[in-house]
Amino acid sequence: MSRKPLLVVRGLTKRFGGLLAVGDLDLDVFAGEILGVIGPNGAGKSTTFNMIAGALPPTAGSLEFDGKSLRGLPTHAMAPRGIMRTFQHNKPFASMSVRENIMVGMHTGFTGSLWRVLGATHGAARAERDAVSRADALVEFVGLGDRGHADVETLSFGQGRLLEIARGLAAQPRLMLFDEPAAGLTPAECERLSHIIRDIARQGIAVLLIEHDMRFLMALADRVVVLNFGHKIAQGTPQEMQADPAVVSAYLGDLAAVAHA
Amino acid sequence: MKSLLGMTAVAVVLSAVAFMLGSYQTDIYRKLLLWTTLALSYNFLFGIAGQVAFSHFTFYGIGAYAILILLFQVGLPLPLAILAGIALCVVLALVVAIPATRLEGFYLALATLAFAQLFIVVLNEGGTVTGAGGGLANYRLPDVFGVRVTGPWYTVVIVVLLLSTFATLWRLDRSWFGRACRAVRDNPEAAQAMGVNVARTKIIAYTITSAMAGVAGMVYAFVDNTVNPPIFGLQNSFLLLFMVIVGGSGRHAGAIIGAALLYLMPFLLSPLIGHHHALVFGVVMVAVVLFQPKGLIGVWDALVARRKLVP
Repeated sequence: MSRKPLLVVRGLTKRFGGLLAVGDLDLDVFAGEILGVIGPNGAGKSTTFNMIAGALPPTAGSLEFDGKSLRGLPTHAMAPRGIMRTFQHNKPFASMSVRENIMVGMHTGFTGSLWRVLGATHGAARAERDAVSRADALVEFVGLGDRGHADVETLSFGQGRLLEIARGLAAQPRLMLFDEPAAGLTPAECERLSHIIRDIARQGIAVLLIEHDMRFLMALADRVVVLNFGHKIAQGTPQEMQADPAVVSAYLGDLAAVAHA
Repeated sequence: MKSLLGMTAVAVVLSAVAFMLGSYQTDIYRKLLLWTTLALSYNFLFGIAGQVAFSHFTFYGIGAYAILILLFQVGLPLPLAILAGIALCVVLALVVAIPATRLEGFYLALATLAFAQLFIVVLNEGGTVTGAGGGLANYRLPDVFGVRVTGPWYTVVIVVLLLSTFATLWRLDRSWFGRACRAVRDNPEAAQAMGVNVARTKIIAYTITSAMAGVAGMVYAFVDNTVNPPIFGLQNSFLLLFMVIVGGSGRHAGAIIGAALLYLMPFLLSPLIGHHHALVFGVVMVAVVLFQPKGLIGVWDALVARRKLVP
């Protein structure tokens, strides 16, 4: 591939005291592709995810997004750079409607100062109207249909996951990070989710998702990176990975361990 | 445009009332308007931004003392004294907010309680500047453009204060800033992921609302024409908190209902049951917290929802 990757991760390492959670990890994510990161429990998926999302400072290594380093930036500096995420355990703003939740996702798009809000300028009012119509479009896109005005407390878990995605897309990101998006969803909801994520990638957004559910990921990802004990043990297309002996043994080992427990 | 007309109508009605009242009722009416103003701004801080701060009434006191000291001891003209008083409130709010907003819930409450107590100590120890325990008295509002603003006309000033406070908070609440404040309160981690600078949002919310309380305090200074330390004690800080909780925290209408109810309750109940009104106050508080945490506005919402269900 001659294109330059959007996200370049090199030598990413995280130690918790003496424990090596992630060691010397290299990753590339290109615009418009779906990269899946998979691995058994404790493989370092979540740690990797949180470091890329800016929620956890790495011990060592570099994170470059569009040629600029992300190291040392606070968590809230990710969204303005075009990096948005979802949470595995849905984290909605519970007191707000679905639409308002999505509008919080547009936070970085509101450039007007507070003075313009207080002065009730036409610009501020127009930005607000635009935000409402864009939020409603996103409600449609993820398939929450007529739930725009609903309290988020009335959403099912699966609908809450869709809201997570709509809220992330609201910032018009260039990289979307999905933290185990299929966790807790019904098979029908997983199917819907796959369509939505493919749609997102088709819009040219880079997608990185970490996932425990192998079947879901293999059907969705363009490329897969397999982690085990904090290290990358393989990468390639889903087909290559399913035939890779290291991957098979890591997963079989995991299953065997579960069986013994 | 519609909201502007509505506001003007409310302003006219609230002002007209001022001209119909005797001096005893005027005093009650003015304080009702001031409590409502304070409850509205405290509702933004506590209910919307989710900061359990006990310094709001303290900033009311800071505003009151500041305007008097700046006018009569520093000798500034009224417009400059007002601006300097606001600036002082903003600086003090930043001094408190920058370290304190790093603290969560309980610890923020403690830090702001300490600040509130410190203010009382400063008032008592302030010598001739603050008038110590006796406070400041024997002054009157300087003429504004050669006009002496008194009686019902000063009540109109308070009406303008209330409505401009309300309009400002309403706009903030309905903007990206209000959403950011609610987001920080509901889920700071998710708010950060949306690009909201949590610390900055908290500091701005604290500073704006505290400055609003300060401005209300400046207006209050010429209501009783005397200020002294006991007025700004913790009792009133807690009353403010109760107003917001009873009315329904996070809602403007709730703050207005709560302020009106709790301020007026003693006046309405004392003739009937004397000092037992405090007991009623306690029972109302406990009942609301236990049975309707969303406050009286929550009761109203439930009634409206039920009516909608019935065809």
